[in-house]
Amino acid sequence: MAVSNTSSISLSASDRLIAGAIALLIGAFLVFGAGLANSATLHDTAHDTRHSYGFPCH
Amino acid sequence: MIVRYLLAALVAGLFSGVLMTAAQEARVVPLILHAEEFEGGDEEAPAADGAEQGASHEHSSLSAVDALAEFASFLSPVGVAHAHDGEGEEGGIMFGMSRFSGTLLANLVTGAGFGLLLAGVSLVTGNPITVANGALWGAAGWLAVHMLPAIGLPPELPGFPAAELGDRQVWWVLTVLLSAAGLYLIFLKPGIVAKLVGIVLIAAPQVYGAPQPTDISSNVPAVLGAEFAVAALATTLFFWIVLGLSLGFANEKIAKAA
Repeated sequence: MAVSNTSSISLSASDRLIAGAIALLIGAFLVFGAGLANSATLHDTAHDTRHSYGFPCH
Repeated sequence: MIVRYLLAALVAGLFSGVLMTAAQEARVVPLILHAEEFEGGDEEAPAADGAEQGASHEHSSLSAVDALAEFASFLSPVGVAHAHDGEGEEGGIMFGMSRFSGTLLANLVTGAGFGLLLAGVSLVTGNPITVANGALWGAAGWLAVHMLPAIGLPPELPGFPAAELGDRQVWWVLTVLLSAAGLYLIFLKPGIVAKLVGIVLIAAPQVYGAPQPTDISSNVPAVLGAEFAVAALATTLFFWIVLGLSLGFANEKIAKAA
């Protein structure tokens, strides 16, 4: 509960940015791997998911 | 403290991924399996028997007879990998999992990924996600990742004609990023200028246009494609609303429970 510029995020501004950046990086990595990576094994495993989420596929 | 916010996003994402898998199995996967009967060219002759293929194990989720056996194989983490017509020669499903297990795993990874991305946007922009506004955050995520890109690249069934994969992926990623930035400016930035710039950002990739195939003929019936597009958008909307709400809940229960 250090410095907080919003009522409901209880992080200091710099910690908030660090947490957000880490979340964005890991999240983008996971979504890329499941949805976009050009690997036959990843594609076949995630095939139905890729179609369902409307990722460009095939 | 930082770890707690990441944990909250992971929990919400994994939870939403599980529910999404159920929604997909109910509404989307049967259409994918049906379309795969028509995939792979003329020699497969869809003809009249296309709808009544109870004997073929590959399409057994459509028949009530094999449903039990199929269900039993779902429960086993290691099962027979269902071959995918015309591909998979060098691919195959990871760890020899069943098709359903692969889809569940992919949904868990995707759910965790989108959960982290949603939490990341919230943290970086300093706009907390709560139970009260979670559904709206989820709806905005659905607009940015699914609805707006679908204007140019509708969700495709297997066997649908499509432009070069790399071109479509680049257009899709750029459209998601521009749409997300535009929605942020429209919803979270005060001032008429921000909202106008937001609309321009959202419209720009649509005006530019998505890569389209030169030949749009397909063996897959148009009715299947229409049903699939609606089912895909409806299930992803469900996923994102669940994700937004559960992320709001997890933020209040996990992240702030220090």
